[in-house]
Amino acid sequence: MAGLSDLELRRELQALGFQPGPITDTTRDVYRNKLRRLRGEARLRDEERLREEAQPRGEERLREEARLREDAPLRARPAAASPRAEPWLSQPASGSAYATPGAYGDIRPSVASWVGSRGLAYPARPAQLRRRASVRGSSEEDEDARTPDRATQGPGLAARRWWATSPAPARLPSALLGPDPRPGLRATRAGPAGAARARPEVGRRLERWLSWLLLWASLGLLLVFLGILWVKMGKPSAPQEAEDNSTSWFCQAKQKAALLELLHELYNFLAIQAGNFECGNPENLKSKCIPVMEAQEYIANVTSSSSAKFEAALTWILSSNKDVGIWLKGEDQSELVTTVDKVVCLESARPRMGVGCRLSRALLTAVTNVLIFFWCLAFLWGLLILLKYRWRKLEEEEQAMYEMVKKIIDVVQDHYVDWEQDMERYPYVGILHVRDSLIPPQSRRRMKRVWDRAVEFLASNESRIQTESHRVAGEDMLVWRWTKPSSFSDSER
Amino acid sequence: MTTSQKHRDFVAEPMGEKPVGSLAGIGEVLGKKLEERGFDKAYVVLGQFLVLKKDEGLFREWLKDTCGANAKQSRDCFGCLQEWCDAFL
Repeated sequence: MAGLSDLELRRELQALGFQPGPITDTTRDVYRNKLRRLRGEARLRDEERLREEAQPRGEERLREEARLREDAPLRARPAAASPRAEPWLSQPASGSAYATPGAYGDIRPSVASWVGSRGLAYPARPAQLRRRASVRGSSEEDEDARTPDRATQGPGLAARRWWATSPAPARLPSALLGPDPRPGLRATRAGPAGAARARPEVGRRLERWLSWLLLWASLGLLLVFLGILWVKMGKPSAPQEAEDNSTSWFCQAKQKAALLELLHELYNFLAIQAGNFECGNPENLKSKCIPVMEAQEYIANVTSSSSAKFEAALTWILSSNKDVGIWLKGEDQSELVTTVDKVVCLESARPRMGVGCRLSRALLTAVTNVLIFFWCLAFLWGLLILLKYRWRKLEEEEQAMYEMVKKIIDVVQDHYVDWEQDMERYPYVGILHVRDSLIPPQSRRRMKRVWDRAVEFLASNESRIQTESHRVAGEDMLVWRWTKPSSFSDSER
Repeated sequence: MTTSQKHRDFVAEPMGEKPVGSLAGIGEVLGKKLEERGFDKAYVVLGQFLVLKKDEGLFREWLKDTCGANAKQSRDCFGCLQEWCDAFL
């Protein structure tokens, strides 16, 4: 409440259906209390309406109203409870407003006495009230369950409205309609109140969105990282595929079964060798490419097959256009071999590495990739910081230059004014003299750049100061002369 | 409730430069307090009454907060000003 500005206070009050006057120092507190009261009332009305809709409580309402009559002393404390907030109207209104159902006859005379007792000169208004009340009474007698609530609330609302708002006759008819303005009020109240609350809420929502976004982004990055890891680990299932394919094809031809076995062994051997080479190279191999002889020896040891079969296998590899995972390399590493004779060494396309080795390699690759990204980012950041620093420094220098220019102008002008008052000999002043008088000796070297820029600026951009060269005390010197006639001299003459 | 002599006296003529103590309901003590707050003449209080758009609740609350008027005093003051406005404003 205290944080509301005058305009906001006004808007809040208007939203609750109250037209405030000017909000000045003397009226601000009053209107603040009013707002508090109206808000409390509105809240109570909401609660009442909810309770009404739950169960029709004619008798309870009457009991509550009867209790209000006991509330005698004037307590203008802006407490939440609306009945307590309008005690001074409960005194006169007790007998009239909270009447028993259908007892509209009571209202008329009591309202009349009420008005009369106050000595107010508004005969028209009570008459209107009476007329409306009678109309209301006749229409209300027809209704059933809602009558008690609406009957008591109608005049009660009217009484409240009369005192609470400015006593304009125009207001009464609308107020007497009772429940009708209430939904409209509530809607308008919810709107602006919501709008007032929406502003900090928008900020909060934005914060929440941002935090969610960051969370998902970090999770996404984690997944990407794991994905890279997985990809680098290799697909253990791939060689199976090649073999299965070859298996399904050779199944028909049984004589090729031996070839298959040979190839299998060869593949394994090559893969292991390549894996060893990749993972620390314990056997000190020269390269992943195993010489043909070595391979042949190994195969002969393992499968006890002849060299002819080996060559047949190589031929098959050469002729097959499927990827079997074995590369046949010739003398020239990049050239493709077409005949078995040209083959110099064999290399596995899918080196088999241990799980640890695989994991470490994958980790290394992933980390390197991620690190590269981060290093790029860090580099850009550093660049940005550097640029900002540089800009700031330039800006500072410029500011210092303008300060200096201002000081110089003041000095030159003062000198001129002094000259006009015959305190100085010449109307111009040496540039170096000005510098020495403005800058203390210890900072002259430091401010040299600023000074030079200031001199340059004055020479090009200042019209009131002329840069001239004069012979002073036998020495040529650059001087500044103030050319604009000073206001002081004008007033003199 | 009949009006007091003070009320009738005030409402009978334009207030001019009458002091704040001449308002109905405002006695010596309240008058002094109002003067301390700057409301030294009746027309200044009238100003406040008008700025609050002649609203009874607001004006009486303001009066209570400013000088500590009780219910009767504030009611008298309000009535006085209201009648004066009807007659002269």
